[in-house]
Amino acid sequence: MSGDGGERSGATRALVVDDERMNREVIVANLRVAGYETVTAEDGQQAWEILDADPGGFDVILLDRRMPRMDGMALMAKLKGDDRLRDIPVIMQTAYAAPQDVIDGLEAGVYYYLAKPLDRRLLLSVVAAAVEDRLRYRRLQIDLDKRSTALTLMTGGTFQFRTLAEANTLTVSLARACPRSKFLVVGLSEIFTNAIEHGNLGITFQEKTELIAANRWMQEIENRLDLPENRAKTVTVRFERIGDEVRFTVKDDGQGFDWQSYGDIDPTRAFSAHGRGIAMAKRLCFDAVEYRDPGNEVLCVVRGEGVQTPPGAATEAPGEPAAPAAPPGPVADPDDLRLARVMQSELLPREEQIARANQMTGLTISGFHEFSSDLGGDLWGIEPLDDHRLVVWLADFSGHGVTAALNTFRLHALISNIDAGRDQPADFLAELNRRLAGALPVGQYATMLYGVIDRNEGVFTYAAAAAPPPVVIESKTGNAHVGDGSGLPLGVTKLGVYRERKLALVPGAVLFMASDALAENPRENGANLGAVGVAEMVRCGVLARGTEADVQSLLAPFLASAKRPLRDDLTAVCCVWPVP
Amino acid sequence: MKYEIIDGAEMPTLVLRDQLTFSDREQFDTVIDKLLARKKPVTAVDLAGLDYMDSAGLGMLLTLRDRAERQGAQVKLLRPKGEVSELLALACFDSLFTISPA
Repeated sequence: MSGDGGERSGATRALVVDDERMNREVIVANLRVAGYETVTAEDGQQAWEILDADPGGFDVILLDRRMPRMDGMALMAKLKGDDRLRDIPVIMQTAYAAPQDVIDGLEAGVYYYLAKPLDRRLLLSVVAAAVEDRLRYRRLQIDLDKRSTALTLMTGGTFQFRTLAEANTLTVSLARACPRSKFLVVGLSEIFTNAIEHGNLGITFQEKTELIAANRWMQEIENRLDLPENRAKTVTVRFERIGDEVRFTVKDDGQGFDWQSYGDIDPTRAFSAHGRGIAMAKRLCFDAVEYRDPGNEVLCVVRGEGVQTPPGAATEAPGEPAAPAAPPGPVADPDDLRLARVMQSELLPREEQIARANQMTGLTISGFHEFSSDLGGDLWGIEPLDDHRLVVWLADFSGHGVTAALNTFRLHALISNIDAGRDQPADFLAELNRRLAGALPVGQYATMLYGVIDRNEGVFTYAAAAAPPPVVIESKTGNAHVGDGSGLPLGVTKLGVYRERKLALVPGAVLFMASDALAENPRENGANLGAVGVAEMVRCGVLARGTEADVQSLLAPFLASAKRPLRDDLTAVCCVWPVP
Repeated sequence: MKYEIIDGAEMPTLVLRDQLTFSDREQFDTVIDKLLARKKPVTAVDLAGLDYMDSAGLGMLLTLRDRAERQGAQVKLLRPKGEVSELLALACFDSLFTISPA
């Protein structure tokens, strides 16, 4: 959301990147009729040269995915790595039948999609929505930089607004009061705007698409605000700072809406002009977004560094977070899976988080995740406790499909909310189990390994809930020590008790853990690795590479021989204690 | 999954063969209905012919246990072997079910 700050004057300018001349011409013709200026490129390489030479020159990029020389995804990687170009909205053209394209695209930061063959009306409304969103975010960013506020000292308060202008003012002020305000401003803006336009004024999704395409959106909002039945309607925002969390509860005076299909997994969403707002807000800004029925109230949570509680404020622990409920039911269709998959990937540790943990603890951590054909429920995480201790965990929900994926969101929310005993694996698992047992439907459960690596003590202290055992290999000797993963699965009974176990660690040791897919997934020859095979594969890998080993190299023999698609999600984590 | 329900004098026994995996969920639900319709205080599940069970299979056993308990009934697991036995041990199912080796 940085960008060069200023807004370009004059016509809106689009860069159209496609290797097929016909496609370029169709898009250009349509955009020109609608008043856009256009520049074309035949592939990613040419597009890059154009953008690099004139980084401030474009308001939107229309990108084909498959092209010679540099394809769409390669160009995305370059754009996202460049501060000058990062926030230009990109609209990717893809075939309906290629959900993987959308998954890859969302992961690369593409929030707008156009299906082929091209629908003229949709082209114009998606381009208009992308340009409009960007302008709005930019204005908010500029406001944000100007504003300073005493709200950072606020622990709680209630606000009311009615118009878009009021919403924007409040957005900027509240965002300033929080960490990551540059991102938060986008999310709050989406949530507040939704409360006015959809909540109080009843503008439907379809109407908004048409209004934006016709450039009448703002006007329509003004008109509706003026209607007698809407004059008394307001949006109420409650702001609370609790511990290291900031909570925004936003309530409008409308009828509510079918929030389930907006925030999470609406199969139609990726290809329509907008409606990504909520999902995008979630992705960019909030640690949790929770709608309350009938959908006219939403709770958004921001956690983490910089969310300080001023002295004297209440620090009582928040209640159980309600992550999205996971209804038992039939396997979802591929579109649901696609978006659930994207959201599940977002829960995995990001590169910068891993790098920070490495730097802080002096360990070298690497993780691997491959989805099965229909989504499993794997998740892993790390958390440095101090300069010599690292929490590492790996969980796997039973079952497949959207249900399992949604359970991972629930687990993720629970884990970040349990304060006590993070360095006490058995207590931590017992507490997590207690909370999950109240929340999961019968027959659904999680297996988990949770442990603390302590470099000063030279030990990995862990507890397990029916997980494959952790393995420690000493790189000097090749000695393997296989732990014990037995324990009651999480969520089955509230009375679950977990045992603390230990594996000795020395400098040069490699700790490896993986989900059960590694031992159980058949290989091309039909046999699976089994627990013994996993330990042997890891041992051979460490003998070959020593402390240079990482999760990819250790898994390589399996990845080369596994029968695809995988029957279950595969997740693996490797922590190396380098020799000084 | 292949199955058979044998009505013994004391209890019905569900005999499972081959595999019990995610794809058997719906069928297993109807099997549970049939078993519990017999209203016996104990229901047995014979696992001797079961070669493989995945995590969803464990979940199905838990569902059976839960629904039986709500009727005040118990579930016994009989003769698990090989990987199935290892999986039950890993998940400490002996603390949830009576498991008989024979």
